[in-house]
Amino acid sequence: MSKEMVAMILAGGQGSRLYALTQKTAKPAVSFGGKYRIIDFPISNCVNSNIDTVGICTQYQPLQLNEYIGNGQPWDLDRLYGGVHVLPPYQKANGSDWYKGTANAIYQNIAFIERYKPEYVIILSGDQICKQDYADFLQFHKEKNAEFSVAVMEVPWEEASRFGLMVTDDTDAITEFQEKPKNPKSNLASMGIYIFNWDILKKYLEEDEADPNSENDFGNNIIPNLLSDKRRMYAYRFDGYWKDVGTIGSLWEANMEVLDPEHSGMNLFDENWTIYSRNPGLPAHMAGKKSCIDNSLITNGCEINGTVKHSVLSAGVVVEEGAVVLDAVIMSGTVIKSGAVVQRCIIADNCVVEENAAVGAAEGEIAHTAAGVTIGRSAAVKAGAKVYDDVKEGEEVC
Amino acid sequence: MLTTHKDASVMGIIFPNTYDNLVPQLVAERAMAAIPFAGRYRLIDFMLSSMTNAGIGNISLLTRKNYHSLMEHLGSGREWDLARKHGGLNIVPPFAERTVTKIYAGRMEALASILRFLEAQKEKYVLMTDCFQALNMDFKALIHEHMESGADVTAVYQVADIPDGAKNGNYTLNMDETGRVTEILNNDYRTGKQNLCMNIYMMERERLISMIKESSVRGQRFFEREMLVPNLHILNVRGYRYDGYVARIADLKSFYDENMRLLQDDNIDQLFDKNRPIYTKTRDDNPTRYVEGAKVSNSMIADGCIIQGTVENSILFRGVHVEKGAVVRNCVLMQDTVVEVNANVEYLVTDKDVLISAGKKLSGSDTFPVYVAEAHTV
Repeated sequence: MSKEMVAMILAGGQGSRLYALTQKTAKPAVSFGGKYRIIDFPISNCVNSNIDTVGICTQYQPLQLNEYIGNGQPWDLDRLYGGVHVLPPYQKANGSDWYKGTANAIYQNIAFIERYKPEYVIILSGDQICKQDYADFLQFHKEKNAEFSVAVMEVPWEEASRFGLMVTDDTDAITEFQEKPKNPKSNLASMGIYIFNWDILKKYLEEDEADPNSENDFGNNIIPNLLSDKRRMYAYRFDGYWKDVGTIGSLWEANMEVLDPEHSGMNLFDENWTIYSRNPGLPAHMAGKKSCIDNSLITNGCEINGTVKHSVLSAGVVVEEGAVVLDAVIMSGTVIKSGAVVQRCIIADNCVVEENAAVGAAEGEIAHTAAGVTIGRSAAVKAGAKVYDDVKEGEEVC
Repeated sequence: MLTTHKDASVMGIIFPNTYDNLVPQLVAERAMAAIPFAGRYRLIDFMLSSMTNAGIGNISLLTRKNYHSLMEHLGSGREWDLARKHGGLNIVPPFAERTVTKIYAGRMEALASILRFLEAQKEKYVLMTDCFQALNMDFKALIHEHMESGADVTAVYQVADIPDGAKNGNYTLNMDETGRVTEILNNDYRTGKQNLCMNIYMMERERLISMIKESSVRGQRFFEREMLVPNLHILNVRGYRYDGYVARIADLKSFYDENMRLLQDDNIDQLFDKNRPIYTKTRDDNPTRYVEGAKVSNSMIADGCIIQGTVENSILFRGVHVEKGAVVRNCVLMQDTVVEVNANVEYLVTDKDVLISAGKKLSGSDTFPVYVAEAHTV
């Protein structure tokens, strides 16, 4: 038996620009949109695109991610043949190595991919919020008779120099690749999502591995090598919602955009494109007599007695009477006690914000906390603060 | 652990259709056990979860009729950890065979249909129960008590007023000072607190098997009336008092009241004990979205709802939409009910997929909630 296309999700990065949020967990396992984790998006996209064989390359803090993925049942990926597999680096007869780069992570899993004898392999990123039909992408790849295709988004010209850009001709064939250039010749930014013919990918991975000077990276090595060999390379235009949530600011922003699907285009209520997630099994949420909830997402298990405005609350969050939550992302199990004001910030799982504490501010950078910390009574966590540890009563953190 | 001891192994038997006749509206197209409750559950979830949380992993459901929605809900039983190699979930619809040609009338007849199955099981004990109550019972404690007491049969009861709806469907227990049951009354109508039987029984599997054989020889159908009552002098039947939270569904009114009661105090914490989770079928709903202008107070709201209007003192099941200007007060709205723009509803129980169209006004009263049947449009 063989599979037409196998998906490989790169989920090994540390996510260092998420600071305290990724101290003890991998970025793809970070909560998003109330009841999801970032990785739910690429996995659900696979399932919705009829891809039933998914490898997830992990290496940084994989415990939570492993447990979360489990046997893949929530995504309907507990399959007899195929399904979802978590792929950490492993020891081999001739030594062992961490994943040295994005390309090396795939190289080290050639044996996994070969088990399914695929014609195509799609490389996905575990840190993007996006609803994308990979079946449509594959259709494009086949129609162009491509050996390599990359999903691209049009970005504003003035921002183009921040991205890896694909310069194309009028058939969408790629003629040049510019990595964060000063003078962009194109505004088609790579989304880091690639479809390869498997035989081509395998050949280039092996050659890349043999090159001692390579960084083993798709953007820096594999794609330039394909270009210089004049392979059949095409750019597939995507115009839906896409967000790299690699920073605290962009993660917060993406959560806020979920609150406004009419304008942002990130609609979690799309019956034709369900995003699946593992269910925490909590009862329906309670909006108490004193609750005031406006323009927010509230998940099962929450108990709200205070004020919640323009915020996203994950499962089991408690907001006590007299507490105020504004423009905030509160992850599961966190308790906001009476008199506390929580504003423009991300508070990770299982934190306690004690009475009259203040987290975040109406303006400035987004403050955030690590999971499981306590913000003491009347403490103040200022805008942009990164809270790694407990904050003592009355303490100020900038 | 107690339940890993080989002598403490227990299998479960659930009768999902008992007392169907008390809530004809809600069971028009489902079994009692499949009645939706508390925003995202069905009654069966509470019994199955209580059993699996006590380590009971071999559970048979003896369905009688209208079991499609129940089967759809349960699937392989995976969500309750009952998709198992050994035991697991065993749904037994009525089966016409040589000896049983009509649908059974009583518990003993139903049990007769699984006699050979029962004989082939290995568990020492059987926990046998109906499914008209939402509760989160620590069955480990019951199992322990049954083993300690040396009872032939342990019957669980609560001390409670007999609900109006249950006047024609209840058993009450009289016990001596040692807790041994001396009398079982049927259809007790007395006011005041009684020892109200919860129809949860524990006994050895071998004893149940011999009761089934006995009843079949004598043409007896009913467990309480014909197996227990005439034999109380020789059978050591003991009462086990349960003081935990019980929501007993005895009629439409009590269905409404019991949902509403979850809004009071810490009732929800009692029913949803964090150490004993209640499992249910997942639906992959998104979190509930409160749109700008939503006004919600004192309500229990499951995932997947979109709220633009006003909701007070209500229970909203999964996927309910309350549109702009709509007002929902003192209602129980089952899954995927839509209350359109400027509609105004009060003291309403809607079944699944009901549509209250724009601008409509509909109201019952606190003693008489109005019921709208599944998939109807008002």
